[in-house]
Amino acid sequence: MEANRKLLRDLTPELEKTSTGWYITFIVLLVFFLVGIYALVQQIDKGHIVTGMRDNVVWGFYIVNFIFFMGLSYSGALISGVLHLFNTGWRRPVIRLAELITVISLVIGPFFIFFCIGRLDRLYFLFTHPRIQSPITWDVIAISTDLIGCFIYLYLSFIEDFAILRDYEDLNVAPWKRKLYKILSLGYNGTPIQARLLSRARTIMSSMIIAIAIIVYSVLAWIFGVTLQPGWHSTIFGPYFVIAAVFSGTGLLIILMWVFRKVYRLEEYITKRHFVNVGVLLTIIAAFYGYFTFSDYLTKWYGSIKMDSILIDKLFSEYYALFIFANYIGILIPGIIIALPRFRTIPNITIAAVIAVLALWVNRYIIVIPTLETPFLPIQDVRDAWIKYSPTWIEWSLTLAGVSIFIMLFMLISKIAPIISISEMQEKDKEEILK
Amino acid sequence: MKQKEQNLSDKSSRRNFLKNLGAGVGAVTLAGVGGTAAITAGKEAKSGKKIKLLSPDGKLVEVDKDDIKPAEKSVKELKAEAKTGLPGHKFIMVIDLAKCKNARKCVEACQEGHMLPKDHEWIKLYLLQDDKNTAKYWFPRPCFHCDKPMCVSVCPVGATYKRDDGIVLVDNQRCIGCKFCMTGCPYSARVFNWKDPEIKLPEGHVYDPETNIPPVEGTVGKCVFCADNLRKNILPRCVTACPMGVIYFGDLLEDTVTNGEETVRFSKLMLDRAGYRYREELGTLPSVFYLPPNQRMFPVESGLDGYEEEIKGRYKDDELR
Amino acid sequence: MLIMKPGISIYFISYLLISIVSDPLFSQDKTIISPYISLQYFKNSDDHRYLQTTLTYSLNRMEIPLSGTEISFYSGPAGKDLLGTALTNEKGIAAFDLSESISLTKNSDGLWVFSSDFAGNDTIETVRSEISIRDVKLEMILSQVDTIRTISLKAFTSRNSKEIPVSEEVIMIYIPRMFSLLPVGEAYLDENGTASLEFPSDLPGDSEGNLTIISKFEEHPAFGNVEVKVVKNWGLPASNSAPVAHRALWTKTAPRWMIITLSVLLTGVWGHYLFAIISLIRIKRESKKQKKP
Repeated sequence: MEANRKLLRDLTPELEKTSTGWYITFIVLLVFFLVGIYALVQQIDKGHIVTGMRDNVVWGFYIVNFIFFMGLSYSGALISGVLHLFNTGWRRPVIRLAELITVISLVIGPFFIFFCIGRLDRLYFLFTHPRIQSPITWDVIAISTDLIGCFIYLYLSFIEDFAILRDYEDLNVAPWKRKLYKILSLGYNGTPIQARLLSRARTIMSSMIIAIAIIVYSVLAWIFGVTLQPGWHSTIFGPYFVIAAVFSGTGLLIILMWVFRKVYRLEEYITKRHFVNVGVLLTIIAAFYGYFTFSDYLTKWYGSIKMDSILIDKLFSEYYALFIFANYIGILIPGIIIALPRFRTIPNITIAAVIAVLALWVNRYIIVIPTLETPFLPIQDVRDAWIKYSPTWIEWSLTLAGVSIFIMLFMLISKIAPIISISEMQEKDKEEILK
Repeated sequence: MKQKEQNLSDKSSRRNFLKNLGAGVGAVTLAGVGGTAAITAGKEAKSGKKIKLLSPDGKLVEVDKDDIKPAEKSVKELKAEAKTGLPGHKFIMVIDLAKCKNARKCVEACQEGHMLPKDHEWIKLYLLQDDKNTAKYWFPRPCFHCDKPMCVSVCPVGATYKRDDGIVLVDNQRCIGCKFCMTGCPYSARVFNWKDPEIKLPEGHVYDPETNIPPVEGTVGKCVFCADNLRKNILPRCVTACPMGVIYFGDLLEDTVTNGEETVRFSKLMLDRAGYRYREELGTLPSVFYLPPNQRMFPVESGLDGYEEEIKGRYKDDELR
Repeated sequence: MLIMKPGISIYFISYLLISIVSDPLFSQDKTIISPYISLQYFKNSDDHRYLQTTLTYSLNRMEIPLSGTEISFYSGPAGKDLLGTALTNEKGIAAFDLSESISLTKNSDGLWVFSSDFAGNDTIETVRSEISIRDVKLEMILSQVDTIRTISLKAFTSRNSKEIPVSEEVIMIYIPRMFSLLPVGEAYLDENGTASLEFPSDLPGDSEGNLTIISKFEEHPAFGNVEVKVVKNWGLPASNSAPVAHRALWTKTAPRWMIITLSVLLTGVWGHYLFAIISLIRIKRESKKQKKP
């Protein structure tokens, strides 16, 4: 397939050569990852006693990370899915990035669940002896479906690019890469029949992705929502989690836009306009997220139900700093930065996104752990570890390993496929010519 | 011996041999011993009762009844039995809070009977005070074996199940350790095996969900209403161990509960003593009832006497809820 | 010669002392157990009589049973004729069947004298217990008039073929349950040796409403334990009051609507996936078609 020479010249160098900086970063991340593997081996060997989890707080960092990573997968659903349906043109440079975030976080998220499972050797029971009535079974089904769906969707979006790369003679890459492009492009030549097939498949998959994404995240929310625990037994959890996920996904998208723009010198393609647009999306979602959070806590606080009051007291005393950061700073700062034109610069918007993503991680922590620390029957124990959850180095290093592998996978994929979709940019050029 | 070998080498004789063996087994079953039987040459005291059996070589022998022991059941058979339970019963427990003074004999008996590590308490003692103006009371909490068990509903692999006689059991060979049941239970009744409990098992021990021995690393454990004892018409261990007779156990269908010494009609006990269930509004329909702590004959604080800091220190919290 | 040097004598005496003290027989503080023995007489519904002895000892305020010990049972006018022996089980209980000892001679007061003893060994002291039992006949008649159910009791002893009523004694009425006996009433025998009491009509029985009713003299000092047992359909049929719902969140099979919803959703979504994959296959086929000419 033919493509604009300029596009090819700008977007392919990363596929051809790798800088020393890339190698150094990769090796550092690999070291973090290996430390995480070592921690995992320790946990499997000695049992879960090496973590901070005990009989009351049975779900700690691992579940928080699981929800967090699953939430990040929403960026794809939003940008590719929703915006695709509205046919917004400006999103084209960032589509690939969004979809990659979706797939990679969907791959990493379930691993954190595996760390939380006591008997990894029996994990397959989830597939051989499932109980349909259990929210975890719903989750297993939903995540598997979502993962396959997002993979298919990602691949559909890659086909055209692989075809372009396959036909780009000046591409100076290793022979195995050339062969890879040839195989993966499925002989796509841009003929009308093929183009029609591809476009129909993409439209159908994009609407599926939106539906699946909502179901996956609602099911995840219902794992908490259907239990009787104070703080979890809230009717708003389904929509709340969905909105929070979109929020975190959009935030991460901005961060990665900034990173790749800087590193791969894509200033021409990812412009301030993109940052502002995604930033505005972030602000709108932040408003929704703030609204849901406020609604949830107002209802809990106003009513006099004892367990709710005990939980709210705990949040405003022990967890005060975290609560303020997650639910006030995390919403207001990004909102203010992007709402006021004076503050709208690319670095500022990125900082707002960083605060948003961190605040969302803390928000998950605040949802999971304080509830487990305030059960109906009081924890009457002398051991500190059993009264208050404090994560150990194993949990910290596995969290870091998860983040590292996330970045590493991105780095690896950016060496195989262009981080901005060439075919999308061509579409954009065609549109502008038509205008 | 030689004749036997000659017989075995001959096909028709082998068939005869097997037929006699089968008849022998059949005769044993008819003799009322039930199931496959193994004859042990025991030297213990004999009751003197003799049973006639057909031996494998077709001879009628008389064996002392005490020498016959039922053969070991396989894990599969035990699990199937554990799932069926004891049909025609509905087990309930009544705990008299007026008599409990934290003797903790129930905890000890339970831990001993199920080979639990020291920090696993399937029945746990709380010191509760609903409000600062109300009285403190000791609160023993076994698993409630709810009729609408949240823990069973949320288990993704069916490792925990409720049987017709009301008892909720855990199959430690199916449990994957996801701990959803622990967050599902509002009464904090389940414990998790965070590490290898390193229990020395008796020889020839076969896993049975009714005793739930041994605790398995990475799985969940909880009170099983001593289902293994119930099968032999013996009361659960905590019931007999309590020196104050706090725990009553029985069958709702028989309308009877007993604490080992006193046997009463359950409906009458509830009526006279205004029995209730803990947090009825949660709707899990527990099988454990409580009798309010009124007209106590001892101060609550006496329950703290004589224990080490590890136990005393548990109840120092101002907020006992 | 007899006067030894002081040094040697001290040495000799101390050697003697040490050897005496270290002698196991002398120095060991042997705790001789002082056991407690109790003897009970039982007569069942079918006139089956037996004796039961419990042998325990007390340690730290707890009763510890002594098992595997041989108990000898005696009867006769003075309680000295040996009937036989039995070993105690793990609960410290030894039982002796009296049905074969038909000719139990009574003493001059018309009482049977039973005794049981433990011969003792080098760690356990010897103990003996003796009881005097008068043979009593207990009769229970169950009758029903309209809805009122009555138990009529009569107890008497016989002497010289004459019936002497047993009066001013308590008879307990029980229903055997899974773990124990449930007391349902208490009757007091009047001067004619009779009593009657109303039987409650709301007791659950087995699935058909059958109940076993036991009336007994319980640990009576003169009569022992005498019981009469009758099975009667005087109970309410027991039904499982909490049937496990056939399809619920906690049962093996899920509610129908759950299965249907899940199937519909999954078929819908994976159907679309199939469509996308078929499109991919068709794209590949298209390219092959183009290459051919």
